[in-house]
Amino acid sequence: MSEALLCVRGLTRDFGGFRAVDGVDLDVAPGAIHSVIGPNGAGKSTLFSLITGESRPTSGSVRFAGRDLTGRPPHLVTRAGLAKAFQTTSIFPRLTVGESVCAALLARDGQPRLLGSRVKARTYDEAAEICHALGLGEHIDRHGAVLSHGDQRALEIALALATGPRLLLLDEPTAGMSPFETKRVVERITALARERELTVLFSEHDMDTVFAISDTVTVMHQGRVLAHGPADQVRGNDEVMSVYLGSNRDARTA
Amino acid sequence: MTVLDETHSTPAPALAVLGRAVRRGTLIRAASVLVVLAVLAAAPYVVNVTVVFTLEEIAAFSVFAVATNLLVGQAGLVSFGQGVFFGLGAYTVTLGWEHAHWSFWTGFALAPVLGAAAAVPVGLVALRARTLYFALISLAFSQLCYQLVEQNTGFTGGANGVFAAVVPTWMENPVNGYLTLLGIAVAALAVLRWIYASNFGMLLRASRENRARVQALGTSVYRLHLLAFTISGAFCALAGAMLVIYNQGSNAELFDWTTSGQAVITSVIGGMYTFLGPVVGAFVYQFGHDNLVRYVPDWQLVLGAVLLLAVLARPDGLAGAVRLHRRQAGNTSDAELNSAAEGPGATSE
Amino acid sequence: MDTFVTETVSILTNTAMLFVVSAGLTLVFGALRLINMAHGSLFMIGALIAASLASALGGAWGFSVAVLAATAGAAALGAGVEVSLLRRLHQREPLAQLLATFALVLVFADLAQRVWGSSDRSVTAPVAGRFHLAGATVPEYNLIVIGIAGLVALGLWLLLACTATGWRVRAAVEDPESLAVGGTNLPLLRTSVFALGAALAGLAGAAIAPLESVGPGLDTQIIVAAFIVTVAGGLGSVLGAALGALVIATVESLGTLWVPAYASSAPYLVMILVLAVRPWGLFGIPER
Repeated sequence: MSEALLCVRGLTRDFGGFRAVDGVDLDVAPGAIHSVIGPNGAGKSTLFSLITGESRPTSGSVRFAGRDLTGRPPHLVTRAGLAKAFQTTSIFPRLTVGESVCAALLARDGQPRLLGSRVKARTYDEAAEICHALGLGEHIDRHGAVLSHGDQRALEIALALATGPRLLLLDEPTAGMSPFETKRVVERITALARERELTVLFSEHDMDTVFAISDTVTVMHQGRVLAHGPADQVRGNDEVMSVYLGSNRDARTA
Repeated sequence: MTVLDETHSTPAPALAVLGRAVRRGTLIRAASVLVVLAVLAAAPYVVNVTVVFTLEEIAAFSVFAVATNLLVGQAGLVSFGQGVFFGLGAYTVTLGWEHAHWSFWTGFALAPVLGAAAAVPVGLVALRARTLYFALISLAFSQLCYQLVEQNTGFTGGANGVFAAVVPTWMENPVNGYLTLLGIAVAALAVLRWIYASNFGMLLRASRENRARVQALGTSVYRLHLLAFTISGAFCALAGAMLVIYNQGSNAELFDWTTSGQAVITSVIGGMYTFLGPVVGAFVYQFGHDNLVRYVPDWQLVLGAVLLLAVLARPDGLAGAVRLHRRQAGNTSDAELNSAAEGPGATSE
Repeated sequence: MDTFVTETVSILTNTAMLFVVSAGLTLVFGALRLINMAHGSLFMIGALIAASLASALGGAWGFSVAVLAATAGAAALGAGVEVSLLRRLHQREPLAQLLATFALVLVFADLAQRVWGSSDRSVTAPVAGRFHLAGATVPEYNLIVIGIAGLVALGLWLLLACTATGWRVRAAVEDPESLAVGGTNLPLLRTSVFALGAALAGLAGAAIAPLESVGPGLDTQIIVAAFIVTVAGGLGSVLGAALGALVIATVESLGTLWVPAYASSAPYLVMILVLAVRPWGLFGIPER
């Protein structure tokens, strides 16, 4: 079995008396699409912020591509190759889609270079390519603020992608989307993952999405891991079904 | 017209390039800039000398306003302290002449250097504060400097400032003085334009839109802003040195926060999201203000009302209104954009 | 010893006035996230109302009426401005608010000059008595001013700690989002807080009228001082305003005593120092 790209051990985060994330272990194999599922309040978003360095863990470790990233600040985590698309859309309202992605491409270099730095054609081409890959091609000259919700979420992902990550973290990427938009985004993510040899880690509510595209799944409940393994295996796990999927399933068959 | 269109260059026969430029309107824009410059250069031979004096002031003030807008409009850093660098530039020329016998041009060349040098320590401290506190700290800083300059009568000439015969005689002629200032202003603005359009400018705008995101994408916004602050300080000081040609001296009021406030107001009225907005604002403000004060006793009321209207109605200012007409089909109006940008879903800190 | 007493009284009087003014400013910012540059104008208008009414009515009773009228007048003016104008700026970025309220400064300055003219006025204190303490002469009126500030402090504390409205105001300061869900009448709350802030500004202006000459320029003088106190103390914190007022008043007085040339620069230095160390002020909330 190959070395996991992302290896999380015993990750814990306390907020005062409240334990949001409790001893979570997680392995994501390179090139895999891994999803984290769980009801609201299960700790998925907190787990993601611990991994990206926005939040410091109370205990535990995060290893990425063999490097220890525990508690490092976000911009260093990004430089290490781990990029996150935010749950609440966090874009550049008054910049156009093209400008936004260019800015993201420039930002990853870290140094605001002044001399000899008209934005190069190469950067524009790369930005255009990313926009097309996410279905934003026709919106390149439109400003971020006036895009539809679905397109804004796509731009979110584009910005994360622009940093050239090895692992893409998507926090509820289909939140608030219509079934049509959800399907489109999901197709794009899988296509991207295959084309660019990306590893994807995402959190999700929608069960159909999860089991349609994930290779491996982690189920969280009240901050703890309930189950972890290949998608089919988790799907067949009775405990998981009863605790979490049960009510959803009944609603669906009703 | 987006940056994407403007600067993307591909090898092509000259005619095709020209054709593309005409279609994009680049040629039209370049032509209109040249026409405006020609008019401005011819102006002193045609108009009343008072107007020439006002134009001199506008030349210096435009550079001051655009340099301030690098922080206010581009970086989203509202500063009421750029007047400090403005004053510093002016006093470098006058005090340099008075106490150290520097020639005018020595002082003039040193002004932006001192401006940049002073901006670094100030920026290092002040930029640790976020937006609102940064604005207030800049206000306090400018008042502090104003007090210090005013009190130090021995060195700085106190509230009256320095009246010096520092300017070379040939420039005392208003036409010569004005044309020199015009030339310097055009050169300075060209450099600033280049900076606005660079990598750095783009990142600066992104940091204005969403600081946390830029930080998460891998850039230290603090360092980005520090560089912007230094550049602004240098050009504000240059503008101050330019003002000496108009003023034949320097006075303490340059340091007062209301001078900095003028630069901010000018940028807002003219349009703080465009490059030339502050210049347009400078023209409108100076001509408007002078006439207003002379003919209308209730000028404060009028200015206040105008400012209120500008803030309430058109966040993009006058230059924004012009840009509106040139937008490509399918794009949005500035007013729509700004209300969308300020609504929920937009993060800016 | 007598210098000590005189100095202390002077410092306390200034603290009193600065506190009342700054408490208003800090509450408005804390609860409404609005930077009100016109706060100083409300102070000046309060002083002008009090000065003209007190001179017209005369006597201690006349003065008391004048103070009440000034407070009420400032409150009404504040409420009017909030409802008609500032409401629209509620969601805008700080620059828009700064500029709009700065525009109001210009408008108020002009109107004040039209109504009250441009010359300075003075008012005689309602009580002319003095008493002696440790060899120093202390005007009774100063003690009244200090007393007023004390009452204001008590009143604000009661309001914020013990009433439902006060809790809402504190919630708004801590986390504006929290009120959106509760069914609070937000516009009413905003107007009320703004009116309260204005009332405090007017009261401070009226109270200080017998001690300072009242005229144009008072607005800009006081707004800078109020900002320094509020920012150093922490925007949104009444306790911060109290402490900030004490620090600034002390620094100013001692500065005038020891290093008169640089006394006026000292408050700015204090503000810069505080912000350099704690960028959100002494009692402010981080990430603002």
